[in-house]
Amino acid sequence: MRHVKIDDPSSDQALMAAFVARDERAAGALYDRFASRVYGLGIVMLGNDHAAQDLVQDTFVKLWRTAARFDPERGRLETWILLTARSLAIDLLRRRVLESRSLQELGPPPVHDPAPGPDDLAATADLASRARRAMTKLSNEQRSALELAYFGGRTTAEVAALEGIPQGTAKTRIHAALLKLRAEMAKEADDDV
Amino acid sequence: MTCEQVRDLLPEHLLGSLDGDADARVEHHLRGCTDCRAERLRLEDGVATLAYATHESAPPDELRDHVLAVLDEEWHADHEDPPADATIVPMRRRSPMRWVVGVAAAIVLIAGSLGFAMTQHQQAVRVSADATSYQRLLSTLGGKEFRLGQLTSANDTGISGKVILYDGDPNAGWNSWGIVLAHGPADLTDARAMLVGPGGKSMELPPLRFSDGEASTWLVTHEDLTGYDELVITAHGDVVANARIAEA
Repeated sequence: MRHVKIDDPSSDQALMAAFVARDERAAGALYDRFASRVYGLGIVMLGNDHAAQDLVQDTFVKLWRTAARFDPERGRLETWILLTARSLAIDLLRRRVLESRSLQELGPPPVHDPAPGPDDLAATADLASRARRAMTKLSNEQRSALELAYFGGRTTAEVAALEGIPQGTAKTRIHAALLKLRAEMAKEADDDV
Repeated sequence: MTCEQVRDLLPEHLLGSLDGDADARVEHHLRGCTDCRAERLRLEDGVATLAYATHESAPPDELRDHVLAVLDEEWHADHEDPPADATIVPMRRRSPMRWVVGVAAAIVLIAGSLGFAMTQHQQAVRVSADATSYQRLLSTLGGKEFRLGQLTSANDTGISGKVILYDGDPNAGWNSWGIVLAHGPADLTDARAMLVGPGGKSMELPPLRFSDGEASTWLVTHEDLTGYDELVITAHGDVVANARIAEA
């Protein structure tokens, strides 16, 4: 692999440019930043360690093959990678559905219980803990709609059908849930200051 | 689309559940609307929070070396053509045959009519000399314009060739595409080709892999290529050739 000087390691654009240039350090930096969330997504959506590891590999290969298309003007690198991984996981889930079960039988995807455990209740600056606390601020309806859309890859029409609500209500719940999570995280960050 | 309409669709756009037409219209709006892009960033924060909360989990230690080794294999793979999903963005929910036939016809017509010795002027004359055929070609393809550029060697690297861009009309469902045909010295192996536009905008094409002094690369994309007016070719971090791109 070539070694290219990364002028600004903290810049996503510089990081991706170095990755495109086949810089080994950039590849390692990307892995270190994002692999845990991709792997965790695989565990949640695909249900086992082997599939989750495959998802990590497939995601980073896809990242390499599409790296030149990353445009920071269009969104954050973090979101791009997560949604790439999610898309790959959803494709695999749909193949499984076609092979073995109906969509109705599949039911809602298994998700990590975001309710904080005893360790999480302690005041902590850990990002994941703060995020889990933010999740608890969502209403059950908001969380359910968001998880169906995010983990299940369902359209708002499908979410509405599954939840027995109008499509507009499904859209509103998902939109509100995302903004609520953002607001709660910002509040947590302010409280830490 | 209005801002209100776009914001109604933003969560689905962000989560990838919009159909191709609606998604393209949202993207089109976002490119020109600061406020809606800001709203998208706010929603992205929500997605990131969801990710942190629900699926942050340390993978096995050995997975890191494995993934990096796979990437190393990928980087050194001997691709005769660009990786299958590197830049090809198929039009969603369009008739694939219409697109394939149109692009194939254009590539055969343009690339087949070009020799490496043909100058940009000769190409422009040949294409524009038969205005009826040219307009019929554009009508068939449904696009906006062909643009050409001739590669100029930098620092006596001896690289020559040309670049052809076709600006499709995304509103009519057509991709844009580009082809780079290059000659180089016998000892040149790999080079990188990048489209560049004003303000530092850039888009990289798949690598140029020289064999016996010749290389080509191409891309097909639903992105708007009209904002790119220069092609830059680099090898080992140095600019070895470039081309200004203008209408045929």
